[in-house]
Amino acid sequence: MAMDLTVNGVRHSVDVAPETPLLWVIRDTLKMTGTKFSCGIAQCGACTVHINGVAMRSCSVPVSAAAGKDVTTIEGLSPDGTHPVQLAWMELDVPQCGYCQSGMIMSVVAMLERHSNPTDADIDAEVTNACRCSTYHRIRQAIRVAAAKVSAGGGTL
Amino acid sequence: MSDNDRKSANLTRRGALLAGAAVTGALVIGFWMPRRAQAPLATPEGAVWADEEPETSEVNAWVVVDFDDTVTVRIAQTELGQGVWTSNAMMVAEELQCDWSKVRPQYASANRDAREMAPEWTLKVPGNGATDPSGGGEPQFGTRDRTGLAGIPDSLYRRMRTNAAASVKDGRYYLQLAGAEARERLLLAAAKTWGVPVEEVSSANSVIAHGSTGRTTTYGKVASLAAQTPHPNPEGIRIKPPSEWTLMGTEQKNLDVPSKVTGKAVYGIDVHMPGMKWAAVKSCPVYGGKVKSYDFEKIRSEPGVISAIQFPIPEPKLIRGRIFGGGVAVIADSWYQAKTAIEKMPIEWDIPPEYASLTTADLRAKLMASLDETGRVGVNVGDCDTAFRSGARIVEATYSVPYLPRARMEPGNATVLVTDDRVDIWLGDQSPQETRRSCAEITGIPEANVYLHMCHLGGGYGRNGNGPQAEQAIYIANLNRGTPIHLLWTREEDFINTTYRSIGVAKLRAALDRDGWPIAIEVRTATDSEAPGQNAGFDIAARYHAPNYRFSMHSAKFHIPVGTRRGVGAPAQHFYRESFMDELAHAAGKDPYQYRRELISRTDLPYKADMIKALDMAAEMSGWGTPLPEGTARAIALEERGGEEGHHATISAQVHTVSVSKDGKVRVERVDVAHDEGFGLVNPLSVKKQIEGQITWFYNDAIYQECNVKDGRIVENNFDAFPLSRMSENPPEINIRFFKSGHWLDGMGHDRGPAIQSAIADCVFQITKKRYRDLPLRNHDLTWT
Repeated sequence: MAMDLTVNGVRHSVDVAPETPLLWVIRDTLKMTGTKFSCGIAQCGACTVHINGVAMRSCSVPVSAAAGKDVTTIEGLSPDGTHPVQLAWMELDVPQCGYCQSGMIMSVVAMLERHSNPTDADIDAEVTNACRCSTYHRIRQAIRVAAAKVSAGGGTL
Repeated sequence: MSDNDRKSANLTRRGALLAGAAVTGALVIGFWMPRRAQAPLATPEGAVWADEEPETSEVNAWVVVDFDDTVTVRIAQTELGQGVWTSNAMMVAEELQCDWSKVRPQYASANRDAREMAPEWTLKVPGNGATDPSGGGEPQFGTRDRTGLAGIPDSLYRRMRTNAAASVKDGRYYLQLAGAEARERLLLAAAKTWGVPVEEVSSANSVIAHGSTGRTTTYGKVASLAAQTPHPNPEGIRIKPPSEWTLMGTEQKNLDVPSKVTGKAVYGIDVHMPGMKWAAVKSCPVYGGKVKSYDFEKIRSEPGVISAIQFPIPEPKLIRGRIFGGGVAVIADSWYQAKTAIEKMPIEWDIPPEYASLTTADLRAKLMASLDETGRVGVNVGDCDTAFRSGARIVEATYSVPYLPRARMEPGNATVLVTDDRVDIWLGDQSPQETRRSCAEITGIPEANVYLHMCHLGGGYGRNGNGPQAEQAIYIANLNRGTPIHLLWTREEDFINTTYRSIGVAKLRAALDRDGWPIAIEVRTATDSEAPGQNAGFDIAARYHAPNYRFSMHSAKFHIPVGTRRGVGAPAQHFYRESFMDELAHAAGKDPYQYRRELISRTDLPYKADMIKALDMAAEMSGWGTPLPEGTARAIALEERGGEEGHHATISAQVHTVSVSKDGKVRVERVDVAHDEGFGLVNPLSVKKQIEGQITWFYNDAIYQECNVKDGRIVENNFDAFPLSRMSENPPEINIRFFKSGHWLDGMGHDRGPAIQSAIADCVFQITKKRYRDLPLRNHDLTWT
């Protein structure tokens, strides 16, 4: 069944079963592989994307539920890797294996949109993705750096 | 560019073309000569593997310098988060003296490795072993071995495995030699161009200068000429000792980070090829079992479905003797279609009856029983039996740990294309030389025609050659020749098709004298008989002195396949040892830091000064002994790896400050780490990241993670039942300080955090008065009043 799907501002017509998880449409149909598959049951968050600005675990969202909405993936965060969260991630050298980081970054961006100067409690409550390399120590520092960059006018979320 | 430079560059390029034609197919011993190969297939955008076609500006097999001074460094280990993409490049670039900002890592070709040998002069490790700062250390896999399993091969890219925290330890000398040889040949080429003696030419930051005339050129401009300029005396090449390092030893950000914050990094799962089909798999959930029957007709008309292929139990000789299950794969246009269809397909399993009803309790009972058997004696000093009769007090404790998988985030996958004369395989892999052999054995196509395109790994944690992702994919693709097949496991299949850190139990006994010091310590450990690392932490001699010391290893054989997992034997055995030291100190009424310190000082361990230094520094950093609020405690533990006389070692101590709320919630408040840096760390930033990450990795082992066996199969198989910690539980404060020592390090990637297990357990005891000796702690009531 063909349906319209807007990803990173580009409208696609995709012909897939409506119950197909959004993740697999992004990865297999649209060939955008920055969004990762790991658990398939909305536990780990490696597949996090934004749907109308809300961080969602795309492995558990049927593509039909995203049709007609704005989907943003890691590829759409910035044209050149200079989103303040991406810059902060590079400054702190956050990733190790990096596999969870696309989803992690998407969760953090959504959190910062709600809390421009987040407390530790805000971070703990809203960034619930898993990182098996356990880069959490640097993630927390990088969130602070990203928030400071935005409040100093160094970029927009 | 000066006229001279332009002229020499033009000449150089023309010369290279002519010379390139002349040397096609030649194998020149004495320097790494480019060699022709088949043209590669189309590669995905962002690919990080080497073309099989060497470039004319390949100075040696490890170094390509483009005309614009971009330096490509070949990386023979796999980047899986440990930073090897950067640290290996740093070891080459240190000697090359090139512009670090223009260094680009690229995976080395396992295909060329099958066809070309390393030059003879690079095979000998320079210097005098682990305690010689000017030398190449003492590689762990020091013996030469073509397969790379038992030693370092003498093939072109040497040891391509990524394991045992050995990438720096084993590869440093030949990577430094590669950088030095390339630099000297670039200088020779410049000197030849200018017609001056090479002794008058020097280089820095990719710029070559002739002192007396002030002429300069760049690496890029002379690289093609250097590629055709043999080194007259490669045996005379020296590597820099740490005192001369300018790049190594500095904090360098990992070169792959930009690609990992934009989603561009290529992992195995990301590979798409034209005409590619996807395979989803169901393997028999009981190891040693296979498919009895399946009914493809039930799913034949499902969308996208093409075929189903039954596969046998993967050949154990290709996967180090491990026995997994046979299974069936469904091939479809997309993976989601394949996975949806296979879940609907009726499959009956042929399960070995002897395994069909086994539970964790059965296996643990067998291990416990084995502790009373003779066992394999690792160390026996003095006379424990007599000493135990004279002790003023006997302390005894039994500990246990569960089966644990690595649970990397990227599920197992591989993409394979088999044609009649060639195999191409794209995957993240910690042991490409083994996988290359699997390709050849399964397809009958020789290893020289196997092209392995390495991708980054979404976590590794010890999975080198430990699971049949490649073997299943090769088998299936071989029956679909001409079609690229991308096999991908579900998370649940990833839990089935992996080896586990063995379930383990240990009984530790000590006889204390009237002052609380041990006069005898007896350690018995038990694991699966094939578990690696059974002697970790207790071998050679007691780390904590007792005049009578006996260590024996016991075992039983189970059907759950066991293998290396981060830290191998050390995490479990450090948990036993350090927990027991806390218990002894408590029984003796002594401070656990001072108790450890005194017992180490009584040993004649070669690196005991480093151990004491680590304990002292960690204690001081943590404010050891200063008051803490109610419900908060500190515990200290030693971590050591290696440490035999004259050999490599990595020594550290950690103090954990841990709170337990009255309703039983554990929080690690801060961690203070004092860490050995040996003669020098290659990339201290990478080391810090490894330590930070491993603290939390082993926190998960302490608190959450276990896999149980029921009906012969692993029960926990996704992140709901096998939890991973999140931001909210990470220690808010991690302090790391390094100290110098007189040996090369024994690696950094895998046993730098097990201390947290005994530390949390002891803090729980201090706060709740409840002592738990089996992990994970979430199985216990940690509440207190």
